[in-house]
Amino acid sequence: MNFLDEWSAFWRLFYTNGGYKRVFSEGLKNTLTIAILGLVIGILIGTLIAAIKVMPKYKTLPKILNGVCNVYVGFFRGTPIVVQLLLAYYVLFPLMGVSIGSLRTCILIFGLNSAAYVSEIMRAGIQSVDSGQMEAGRALGLGFTPTMMKIVVPQAIKNILPTLGNEFIALIKDTSVVSFVAAVDLYKVFTEIGNANYEYLAPYLMMALIYIVLIMMVTLLFKLLEKRLHRDDRA
Amino acid sequence: MSNQNEMNKELTEELIVIKGLSKSFPIGKKKTLNVLNSIDAVIHRGEKIAVIGPSGSGKSTFLRCLNCMEDPTGGSIIFNGEDLADPKVDINKHREHIGMVFQQFNLFNNKTVLQNIMLAPIYLKTKKAGGLFAKRAVKKQIREEAKEKAMQLLRRIGLEDKANAYPSTLSGGQKQRIAIIRALAMEPEVMLFDEPTSALDPEMVGEVLDLIRQLANEGMTMVIVTHEMGFAREVADRVLFMDGGIIAEDAPPHELFSNPKLPRTQEFLSKVL
Repeated sequence: MNFLDEWSAFWRLFYTNGGYKRVFSEGLKNTLTIAILGLVIGILIGTLIAAIKVMPKYKTLPKILNGVCNVYVGFFRGTPIVVQLLLAYYVLFPLMGVSIGSLRTCILIFGLNSAAYVSEIMRAGIQSVDSGQMEAGRALGLGFTPTMMKIVVPQAIKNILPTLGNEFIALIKDTSVVSFVAAVDLYKVFTEIGNANYEYLAPYLMMALIYIVLIMMVTLLFKLLEKRLHRDDRA
Repeated sequence: MSNQNEMNKELTEELIVIKGLSKSFPIGKKKTLNVLNSIDAVIHRGEKIAVIGPSGSGKSTFLRCLNCMEDPTGGSIIFNGEDLADPKVDINKHREHIGMVFQQFNLFNNKTVLQNIMLAPIYLKTKKAGGLFAKRAVKKQIREEAKEKAMQLLRRIGLEDKANAYPSTLSGGQKQRIAIIRALAMEPEVMLFDEPTSALDPEMVGEVLDLIRQLANEGMTMVIVTHEMGFAREVADRVLFMDGGIIAEDAPPHELFSNPKLPRTQEFLSKVL
């Protein structure tokens, strides 16, 4: 079979027989769900960890919390995400007797994994904000947490937006491993299309194209976001 | 002049009593650097105190210890019946009543001028009204009152047209005046100024000093760390000359400037005057 035949066979499966519906309704949807929710969870937990790490450390509680965070970040950065998925899905959750389904497991693990990376990105961002901003907030009688949330973190996010965009892109591409725990994503759908007549070239090319377009759109989105956040800078 | 008696009476009410205040910073593993060596001082209500001294004398650290921006390592600071140096005391509650103005202005860069002024009053009043669970009408009222107050303060310094501008578009003098009214919006009992004009271009120093002078005339209690000797002489009731982490000389300005007792005060004044 030459490439044209392959392509027309793929196109029949993909378009005429309605395979694209599954690509969008399952593959793309799950990929995006895992990546977006993963990033949201990552930013929330990551910011929390970063805030704990920059806390003044002369009391006991911040010291303990800091230790816990170090272990957390150490584990999630120290093991591959596939290992974390497998551990959670086949070992930890069955042991605990909970069953939350493969998609939710993926969202959770991607979120927790991303949090470890985002925490370091966010810490750098927080440290890039002039310490006078924190001092001014505290001097007005605001506590550490409200000053952090209202003043420092918004400015930190502005500074780290390009790096956060990187993290999101990496997250989108990393979702291609979720079929390890029986979740359906873009990769899984296109593999199944390929499995139908044992021809993988065209489906995988199409998959690559979708990933590229997706990531170009994300890049554009972050550029727009950056522009919007920098409106309080002098032109 | 009619309230001259009242003014004198006010000056005897002790607002902040500082006893044995010490601050040391660790340098390396074993050594510590003593910046403040057991300082005793009393700040009376309505009093204007200027703190002068050579660089490294601990005057900024002294000021920053008063609202625990630097945690004192020893001694006590009694304000409203509580010891601020005690780590168990809720310092945030007291900082609401102690305004602070920084050398570098420190306006919130991500907020407009109006938001800068309203942020702390709205947050703290809403928190007292129940935080997230406060009634919507109450929240709205707090917001409106804060806005009115903020606009009133902005009109006072003639910058009401900058209400929706971001700090990055303002001049240094404008930023510092907004920083001052941001502190005023909390209706503080005392204002701390940490070299408020040192980061300004010379032509902008005047507008900031004018505003501080106005506050002084209105009877605000203030402690000003400054290099503006002329201003200290004019506005202050008392001048503290600091050197080597202690208050070396404490006297009314006319006395300290024209007839300093200590040789090191004389030496310092001869250099700066």
